Amino acid sequence: MTDELDPLIHVPTRLRIVVTLAALPDGDALTFTRLQDILGLTPGNLIIQLRKLEEADYISSTKTGSGSASKTTVVLTRKGRAALGAYTRALRNLLGGLDTDIAADTDANADADGDHVAF
Amino acid sequence: MRAEVSSVARGEGGTVNHVSGTATAGNGGDFDPRQAAALLDQATQQARRTFTPLTPLLFAFRAVVVLVVFGGFWLSVRGQHPYTGDISGWAIAVAVVLVVINVGWTARAIARAGTGVSGPAQRKWRAWKVFMVAAWIIGYAVTAPLYHAGLSHPVWGLYPASAPLLIIGLASAAVGAAFRYWPLAGASLGIVVVAAAAGRPAGSWLITGIGLCAAYLGIAAFTAWWQRRGMVRP
Repeated sequence: MTDELDPLIHVPTRLRIVVTLAALPDGDALTFTRLQDILGLTPGNLIIQLRKLEEADYISSTKTGSGSASKTTVVLTRKGRAALGAYTRALRNLLGGLDTDIAADTDANADADGDHVAF
Repeated sequence: MRAEVSSVARGEGGTVNHVSGTATAGNGGDFDPRQAAALLDQATQQARRTFTPLTPLLFAFRAVVVLVVFGGFWLSVRGQHPYTGDISGWAIAVAVVLVVINVGWTARAIARAGTGVSGPAQRKWRAWKVFMVAAWIIGYAVTAPLYHAGLSHPVWGLYPASAPLLIIGLASAAVGAAFRYWPLAGASLGIVVVAAAAGRPAGSWLITGIGLCAAYLGIAAFTAWWQRRGMVRP
């Protein structure tokens, strides 16, 4: 079984952005400044990451007002929420596989140790 | 089972290197699946704490409040009718102080959690908050004086002392169901059942206090568990 980790989400900053927005109820939006506060990112870095996610239709942003009164809000789209769900499932499957590999390695090492003691 | 990524992103900058291979740690700086899982769980927990206005600590405080307030009322009207007996001044003073603290804490927590958040769920939440405040007002500020004035009512006739609890419990169950917050709905229905089954004038305040205290402690425990629960490794 092969699972694919979405490369767009498989980046620390973007993963945190998507997870934070996914914690809100479906359709609810978060202001850019609040998101920046929560994640502790610089505006420039956050804009770059949001742009990548928006290009993939994982988020949508809306700007209201103008000048100093302008406000940008960001919302996770259904596609973005689905992508995070798929990413989480893939990660679970992957880690399950890794745990199985580690357990097998541990068993093999234990057997080898046992053989060594027997000799 | 081995997951593969068509590309592995490196670093905070988000530069995507288009390389095929397994999603395990490769060269230094790779974001391997274990790190991803840990970060996903950590970010989920942080986001839940950030956006959940009613924290386990607040629910635990409310459990103490209802126990102290209703327990105080019960102590001061023991042996009398709950709505016609005289509640002592100290019990009312303690209740007012605790309720003011609770309202202030709750308002601050809701404002902090809702900062920068907008959308349909926020509007729905605001509407339900008004509904719950109305239920509390109807339950205690209106129902008890009306009963005290001698007005008859089918509910009061059946459950004179626990009518407020039935009203608030059913309203709270409706809120829980509307938000699919089943622990709240279940705890509220439990309160309604207890109030209907055991609500007698003599012990109504104490039953109210113990029932609400147990419900708040249950919700506090569930909220704490839910906030700590991971996405990848529940």
